Amino acid sequence: MATLQDIKRRIRSVGNTRKITKAMELVAAARLRRAEERIVQLRDYADRMQELTAGTARAASSLRGLTLLQEREPRRVAIVALTGDRGLAGAFNGQILRRAFALERSLRSEGREVRWLVVGRKGRSTLRFRRYEVEQAWTGFTDRPGYRDAQAVAHRLAELYGEDEIDRAVLVYNHYVSPLVQRVTEQQVLPISEEVLGREEDEEEHERALMGDFIYEPEPEQILERLLPVYLETEVYRALLESAASEHGARMTAMRNASKNAVELIDSLTLDLNRARQAEITQEILEVVAGADALTQ
Amino acid sequence: MAERTFSVSLVTPEGAAFEGEVEMLVVPGADGEIGVLARHAPLVALLKAGSTRVYKDRSTEDVLEFATGPGFFKVEQDRALALVDDAVDARHVDDERARKQLEDAQAELERVERGESDADRWQLEQRIRHAENQLTVVGRA
Repeated sequence: MATLQDIKRRIRSVGNTRKITKAMELVAAARLRRAEERIVQLRDYADRMQELTAGTARAASSLRGLTLLQEREPRRVAIVALTGDRGLAGAFNGQILRRAFALERSLRSEGREVRWLVVGRKGRSTLRFRRYEVEQAWTGFTDRPGYRDAQAVAHRLAELYGEDEIDRAVLVYNHYVSPLVQRVTEQQVLPISEEVLGREEDEEEHERALMGDFIYEPEPEQILERLLPVYLETEVYRALLESAASEHGARMTAMRNASKNAVELIDSLTLDLNRARQAEITQEILEVVAGADALTQ
Repeated sequence: MAERTFSVSLVTPEGAAFEGEVEMLVVPGADGEIGVLARHAPLVALLKAGSTRVYKDRSTEDVLEFATGPGFFKVEQDRALALVDDAVDARHVDDERARKQLEDAQAELERVERGESDADRWQLEQRIRHAENQLTVVGRA
């Protein structure tokens, strides 16, 4: 049986671990709140961008010649896994990668080629460990992604698409529902679906567009050519922000459970400690009594 | 008599940089600066990186200047909207920091060119352009 010293040492060590997990929980909660705010801020920009894109597309005489809209036979598909830079976030990273590998299997069984791109150290190291060839990896910003980071990813995807290196791009990431609920999602970002352009708009919208009669500088087609890559950037940025919020949410939950476990462990160790101490006292009393008995005889 | 005002929003993916009523707005259009007053005709235009100036009151020279990245510009019915990827208030541009960012990015780009780093070249070029833009705008302010 463990001695009193051993048990005391363990209680202290578990107590220290609890302090760390508690601190991580609080940090994750604060970052989660900030990430949520940034999702709200982006919505403002994204909605207006969407409106502008739809309006410009209506004014354009033809949408042909816009590479990012061209639907091709998807022979080569890029999977972009958005993971985190750090662990200790429960099943967060594992879930994304499991989904990405499942997607890869189903694509391969359809005879398609798969290209890997990855965001986050965790995803990169797993793919490298499994000896996958990674087209490109971005790391170092997953807990606080900036728009610039999204631009880098979007630019690379558009480049690969423009060079016919890939025929489709799919993001695999955690869609943020609430601090406790995240859903792993697959989202096709390239080619950009024509629905985005809102061509099948309702009548009221159409009337307003006609009434507006905008001057376009340069031609709508040229503006659209610049708008589409920005739309892609916005989609990637939104996914990165949701992934960051999910990561903080997952870490918060994981650390809360760890703290709770630590408290339970301390309780049960304290019980052991008391039992051991009482056993020791009983033992000592027995010894004294036995010694006294021996003297009287 | 005060001049007629119209509403302006300068919005980036990371939040609005400016929102309010102004007398005049000057934005860096792809083919040269575009100045907008109230009752401007509806317009959609491309913006390049440069300086965006917001004249809240022209008689008292109450002007805000922003170093803005590339984006889009739209005017409709006394409402102007500039959507840019980045906007920094010229008063908040830190000379030292912008210069340091510029030098860091250039050094990193050189390492990429020598094959010693696998950082994203395009992203570095963007960072350089951004820092240069901030410095240019401040230099003129």
